[in-house]
Amino acid sequence: MNIYFINRPNLDRLIKSLSKAYKVYAPVKSDGNRYYQKVGDDGLGEAVLGEIRPVQSIKSFFLPVRTKISDYFYEDLPGKKSRPVAIVGAKSCDLASLKVMDYVFRQDSFKDPFYIQRRDEGLIISSDCTSHGESCFCVALSIMPYPTEDFDINLSEIESGYVAEVGSEKGEKIAKEYSKLFQKAGLYKDKKEENRKKLTEELLAHVKDKKIPGKDSLQPLFKKKFDSELWEETIKTCVECGACNVICPACHCFALKDQGKDNNFERLRLWDSCLLRSFAMVAGGANPRKLLAQRLRNRFDKKFNFFPDTIGKFGCTGCGRCSDACPGKIRIDEVLAKLGI
Amino acid sequence: MIDNPYTPIKTEVVGVNEESPTIKTVSLKPEKPLHFKAGQFVEMTIPGVGEAPFTPSSSPYEKSKLEISIMKAGRVTAKIHDLKKGDIVGLRGPYGNEYPLSEFEGKEILLVGGGVGLAPLRALFLALVHDMDKYKNITFCCGSRTPSDIIYKDCVLDKWQKMNKKVKFRITVDKKDNNWKGNVGLVTTTLDNLKIDLKNSVAIVCGPPIMMKFSTFKLLEIGYKNEQIYLSMEKNMSCGIGKCGHCRLGNFYVCKDGPVFRYDRINNIHEIWD
Repeated sequence: MNIYFINRPNLDRLIKSLSKAYKVYAPVKSDGNRYYQKVGDDGLGEAVLGEIRPVQSIKSFFLPVRTKISDYFYEDLPGKKSRPVAIVGAKSCDLASLKVMDYVFRQDSFKDPFYIQRRDEGLIISSDCTSHGESCFCVALSIMPYPTEDFDINLSEIESGYVAEVGSEKGEKIAKEYSKLFQKAGLYKDKKEENRKKLTEELLAHVKDKKIPGKDSLQPLFKKKFDSELWEETIKTCVECGACNVICPACHCFALKDQGKDNNFERLRLWDSCLLRSFAMVAGGANPRKLLAQRLRNRFDKKFNFFPDTIGKFGCTGCGRCSDACPGKIRIDEVLAKLGI
Repeated sequence: MIDNPYTPIKTEVVGVNEESPTIKTVSLKPEKPLHFKAGQFVEMTIPGVGEAPFTPSSSPYEKSKLEISIMKAGRVTAKIHDLKKGDIVGLRGPYGNEYPLSEFEGKEILLVGGGVGLAPLRALFLALVHDMDKYKNITFCCGSRTPSDIIYKDCVLDKWQKMNKKVKFRITVDKKDNNWKGNVGLVTTTLDNLKIDLKNSVAIVCGPPIMMKFSTFKLLEIGYKNEQIYLSMEKNMSCGIGKCGHCRLGNFYVCKDGPVFRYDRINNIHEIWD
């Protein structure tokens, strides 16, 4: 695919134009963190495209926290969306999570029309990380701190602008339509590679200190530690809030809840959390995972055992958000390190 | 556009039958045909209250309506017990796999059911006797807590017993009452002294988790092999289509890879009986 260069004023123009057809979201900094906020009227405004992943993942753009998925017995959902979403500044760890989400909601035997509509209509303009967070460990799972696939256009921040790599037909169409805003990438391409190499080396050194076992040994080690004390020991500070699940880009589990009555009921799909007590409970109260330690182990089982067997990928992208979100200070990188001890 | 898999089919309740103090059978007529095979399950909606998974208990050959036997166990099932003829509910499905009838052909078939676990076995039994010349014989072992907890009483205690010479019943209750003249003991006691050629037999077990666990162990003890035992697993099947994550059992989703599992496919899963 083609590679161009776009300076920030031109990128702002592009985003402003795109905001006519899309609701545009990009990371905006606040209190030292980045949060997805709606932009577009002034181009990207204050948005920061480098640095590290935003606090939220991109999950909610494709699988909203709450979706009305059925309206009485009518089959007219999902309806037409007014404007689809364009995400600018999505990071590599979040794009990696799309492999999991796409498998669950679009490739597996049953298709989810709500997810598929949002994915098909959405636009992803991703960007390279230019630094890393303390909890980041993507490279330990062979996920690079820069997007390599599953984007429409990727932006690599260079001095006063961005190297723009086209990753899809949708991206190519935009590059053609707005060709005046793009220049030849030229030597910026080399600079991009240089930046990427430098950050990757920094991250590898960062991850080395965490002592996370090699990627290929994680699943066998998990199986070995299934009955170990690790889960009991780790869970002691858990307050069962479910933050690890909701903040995770690859946690896809949901609950179905009906409300209303008689001729006026609707079915909602809401994010659920496997750390909560009722998650696997059946009618009558029998619970296959009564203990919190079983539920923690279940989370790792799903991510480091089930998904590798099912799709050949981890259900974790090394974004480290769950470590940051946990009020009990349970850290996924530390748990993975302990698998190897 | 892709069909919305979460929308139920509008369905009329055409009959309610009280089987036991805790179990009712509702007869349902969906607006659009919903054809299931024995062992598959459906999601039943009580409008505004919620959904729950059930395996139909009627014959899969009965096309005009389907029956579901439901134990009052939770929020949704309590509402189902209040249903009256003419009420409107919803159905989605059928989901999951069916009992692999072709694997049972030419075999001596042992059915082991406990409590409301008799419901899926009723659908299976009716499918089997529909083509009885394909199977060598059927031994149907039924366990219930007390005589009043026996469901499909007129069938189990009478009609089915006279149905076919190739069908034998072994019925037991955990606790008898004054009128009970039959066997007393857990369902596993009906597996003693089976008159079955084990080498040419398959066993199908359905019931509460604890009953399935001990029945499976007993079957193994008397000589059945892992690959001769079929279980109907019960987990929290919520979406029914392998997305919501609630019913995961090892590398399987019970809703889409089950609910019927040959025991050798799942015997090494850590949390199988939990």
